[in-house]
Amino acid sequence: MAAPKGGYFGKILEIDLTNQKFKARKLSDEECRKYIGGAGMGAYLLYNDLKAKHDPLAADSGIFIGPGPLNGTYCVSTRISFVNKSPYTGLLSHAEVGGHFPNEVKWAGWDGIYIKGKSKKPVALFIKDDEVQFMDASDIWGKDTFETEEMMLEKVKDPLARVATIGPAGENEVPYACVMVERFRAAARTSTGALMGNKKLKAIAVRGTKAVPVVDDKKAYEAMVAAKQLAVDKEAWQGIKRWGTGGLLELKHYGTGSLITKNFQTTWWPDIIELGAEEANRKFWKKHTACNHCPVHCMKTGVIRGGKYDGLIAEGPEYETGGLLGSNLGFSNFDDMMACIELTDALGLDSISTGGCLAFAMECVQRGVLTPKDLDGINLEFGNGDASVEMIRKIAYQEGAGKLLAKGVKKMSEEIGKDSYKWAVHVKGKEVAAHDPRGDKARAFSYALGTCGGDHHEGTSAETLARWTMINSLTMCSFVGGYPWGKETPGVFIAMLNPLCGWNMTDEEYWTTSKRIMTLERCFQVREGVRAKDDTLPWRLKNEKLPEGPKKDAVFPEEEVKKMQKDVFDYFGWDDNGIPTDDTLKNLGLDYTIKDMQAARKA
Amino acid sequence: MEKDEKNVGKIMKKETTRRGFLKGAGTAAGVAVAAAAVGGVRPAAAKAAEAKPKPVMKYLFAERQNCTGCRACEYACSMFHEGVVRPSVARVHVIKYKGIVDVPVICHHCTDAPCIEACPTDPKSIQKDPNTNGIILNPDICLGAKCLKCKDACPAEFIRVHPDSGQPIMCDLCGGDPECVKACELQATNPLAPCLMAGASGFGVNQAFRDVTPDEAAEDLIKNFYYPNEDGGRR
Repeated sequence: MAAPKGGYFGKILEIDLTNQKFKARKLSDEECRKYIGGAGMGAYLLYNDLKAKHDPLAADSGIFIGPGPLNGTYCVSTRISFVNKSPYTGLLSHAEVGGHFPNEVKWAGWDGIYIKGKSKKPVALFIKDDEVQFMDASDIWGKDTFETEEMMLEKVKDPLARVATIGPAGENEVPYACVMVERFRAAARTSTGALMGNKKLKAIAVRGTKAVPVVDDKKAYEAMVAAKQLAVDKEAWQGIKRWGTGGLLELKHYGTGSLITKNFQTTWWPDIIELGAEEANRKFWKKHTACNHCPVHCMKTGVIRGGKYDGLIAEGPEYETGGLLGSNLGFSNFDDMMACIELTDALGLDSISTGGCLAFAMECVQRGVLTPKDLDGINLEFGNGDASVEMIRKIAYQEGAGKLLAKGVKKMSEEIGKDSYKWAVHVKGKEVAAHDPRGDKARAFSYALGTCGGDHHEGTSAETLARWTMINSLTMCSFVGGYPWGKETPGVFIAMLNPLCGWNMTDEEYWTTSKRIMTLERCFQVREGVRAKDDTLPWRLKNEKLPEGPKKDAVFPEEEVKKMQKDVFDYFGWDDNGIPTDDTLKNLGLDYTIKDMQAARKA
Repeated sequence: MEKDEKNVGKIMKKETTRRGFLKGAGTAAGVAVAAAAVGGVRPAAAKAAEAKPKPVMKYLFAERQNCTGCRACEYACSMFHEGVVRPSVARVHVIKYKGIVDVPVICHHCTDAPCIEACPTDPKSIQKDPNTNGIILNPDICLGAKCLKCKDACPAEFIRVHPDSGQPIMCDLCGGDPECVKACELQATNPLAPCLMAGASGFGVNQAFRDVTPDEAAEDLIKNFYYPNEDGGRR
């Protein structure tokens, strides 16, 4: 078991919250090379540590927070993965988040933080290099994410520490609560917030002062400078620099016809001119902000002047937040949208799932299935900003009708019954992101066949699913590492990894590694009962035509879903039911999963 | 006076040799070349210096409103001086306040240099390079952790302590052609202009700016950008 030579420190920080103890868990070079890091390493650890149908809220069900080999090096814009078994969907989920938190973890000398156990009292962690402090967090319990971050920075007395926190939603274990990093960046879609709330872990502050070991300084540096230049020069990113992803709001409305509107009833929302980047630029945005070493600075923060939200500082709209909490709720008022976005950030809610749940409830109201009486008298109809703001607060604190909406679209639809399955838009129990696959067909791969379900960052074809698996394991930003679409993959990554880690990875090994990680993630889901029938799209997208817009009459029929499944299953070597075959598992070196897969095939 | 200058020369010479020794021939200058021309071959340090004399920039400036908080300056700085990416030992550093503003903290290379004035050793363990205006530390005579009078004297709160040696970290302007400025230029594109700049003349601006601590600068920025409510809180 040789230790890694470069790119890794060869150890993961294992934290036991029950006994407030920590220890280092060693990683071998072989493990690093096989599972890379981030989402891949998380899948490897969780697959082996958890049994089938393990209770995600059990004390020994862990959260893995993992950077990749490129974090902390000269490479631009690296992220970190939050990986855990989600209490929301019961499946393996991973979320990647940017900012400076990821690199601080690496500079502190760790290839990941693996949190287990449950604390009795609220606790916060401060990790400074090799030291770990368990801090009493009773005073910050109940505060929103912004205040929590401020108070944590005061507690640790280090302005350069970076903080990940949960808000009231996480404390109250709303199943789609997220972790907020550095105030505005969310590691959402994994239910990690609820899990941290369950473990009574309020915040994690990290500060690192070390340097990542590099095997061949000169070559690694040259490759990273070249990779950075791709991000600097790439034509498509010039718009992102200027407008952020908010610029896509108008584009998806006028151009691709995939802007979700009113719970996927249409993709045509002319009022987007009131919500999009142009409007934000005119009256809201004040500052551009970048993640570590990133030349794209896609994050825009601003402040509302005048009106009832005067003085509200918020980030966005990004495409996902502006879509889900803007057009999807039928808003035409910029301030209402920003208030909802700010509130989900402050309370620590996943804005995609929150928007999905609100829109579902709104459509229930529209169709008379729910009445204001069921919703504490709140008139939750499309376009009602005040009602949305009030409901978001109720969700986070699980009050009254908030309890219903906090269950998520799948369970709400099961409870409400009637025809509500027709407008319950979720995949594998998770709400879908802001690209309508009827207008943007390639997104269906990510939604239906991505590991987590309903996720928008997992690929646009069988091959890009593999590419993106690697991006998520190397924990690169999908934008700046925007190489996933380019002809440069995998060359650009191999050129950085080999001198960094002292490997001799070839193109072929790169693709094998990505298939290995994707297949391992699949094994986890299969063990939990996922089969081909689950890799599908919501009823509405398969059966209702788009009524208007550039992609009028488009629909995503069942045959296309089947074809998409076949593409992916064939590419990765899984059988017709989506279970990896014995041969595939042997070839990928995943022998330890064979027994489980054989059992799944018999069941 | 004459003695002093002699000393400076001696220290500088020593500094150069030490760095050259640590990084191996060509690393330091190679970094500069590679950052400017991507994928270019790295010539040896001496040859590069002969081919194109470095412009001598004597002062750093920071247009704080343009900072995106990407910390590319820290990457470039630690890469040049230490040969690794390690922002904790970078001279220039960026502090984020309340998640909404970023304050780049730089050495202003002030004319009166309170840090040098405060240095108790004889001869002074920090000196100004007469050619580049860079502040140069002689690690052999610096008292390190038990002194740090320079750190307390700096009105810009720029000086940090090296986590390994305990000695203050000083900005030597990379021998007259600051790496952080070049890194910032590459980062700041559409629609932003670079935040860090360097010039041969200080115009007295650097002297005025240096009296602003990072905390005060952050307060100004928040007011300028966001005009928060009177109590500073969110609504």
